[in-house]
Amino acid sequence: MLTAVLPVGLGRTAAAQVTTISPSGNPAAMTISTAVAGLQPTGVSNSATTYSTANVKSSQPQKITARLSANMPAGVTLMASLAVNASATSVGAVSLDVTARNVVINITANQTSQTITYQLSALVSAGVIASQTRTVTFTIANYP
Amino acid sequence: MSSERFLRNLVLSLVGIVGASALAGAQTATQTVTFAVNAINQIAFVGAPSLTITTAVAGSQPTSATVGTSTWAVTTNQSNAKISASIPLAMAAGLTLSVNLTAPATATSAGLQPLTTTAVDLVTVITKLAVGSLSATYQLDATAAAGVVTSATKVVTYTISGGT
Repeated sequence: MLTAVLPVGLGRTAAAQVTTISPSGNPAAMTISTAVAGLQPTGVSNSATTYSTANVKSSQPQKITARLSANMPAGVTLMASLAVNASATSVGAVSLDVTARNVVINITANQTSQTITYQLSALVSAGVIASQTRTVTFTIANYP
Repeated sequence: MSSERFLRNLVLSLVGIVGASALAGAQTATQTVTFAVNAINQIAFVGAPSLTITTAVAGSQPTSATVGTSTWAVTTNQSNAKISASIPLAMAAGLTLSVNLTAPATATSAGLQPLTTTAVDLVTVITKLAVGSLSATYQLDATAAAGVVTSATKVVTYTISGGT
């Protein structure tokens, strides 16, 4: 009987410690449509969504990474910046691509409704780009 | 199964569970970002040049006046855009106002072109550029028949037409 009880008990303990991250939804479409003559197109940003974390323990700091489902078109950059409270460190605006990149580190307490800011910029060399989507995957994991 | 083998399997199972729990600690969530870049064609001009014809070489028409202090800038993310210009009212008889826009690299300037109420192309083949501080040179010509002309103003309208 002892051999049957031990694994179940450990499994429940581990599950209760899993940290989670939850974005509030999807940002509205971002469209670059103007420029100051002589300069590159004017970038746009969106700060309408937020994220929250759960089950963060001070004894095990966490980090959040972000990556895209596919790289952005040539000449187009999508940056993300996640706000934090005093219990974490934001890396600031991070250029996103298919590689998971740290956006928040050293999280020692839960983050609640912290702003996610996306910045979209484009060079004239990018040309005209019809509407596209990218999935941004946020991962919360042990830090460092 | 021997008790020794059973215990070894038990230990391996526990290690496996703990390991899986550690991996499961990395939790993910997603957002969908939608984006687009529209056609952008912008031009701007700086300067309000003044031209006055005041002299001539005896036996020739009055000497042209030229001013090259104005500048212009362009941004386009399309190919083969062009810039044209026109004036709202024709110049007085015997007077000609012309303009020459320096073309950015890879574009083509039509050189000095007289301005009329019909738009004239000044720079063509402007492709995916963002350039400023380009020279705009104005020239005023008059024939003797024009006589003395009091100061007048013309608004030059520049238009950038998007390419493809």
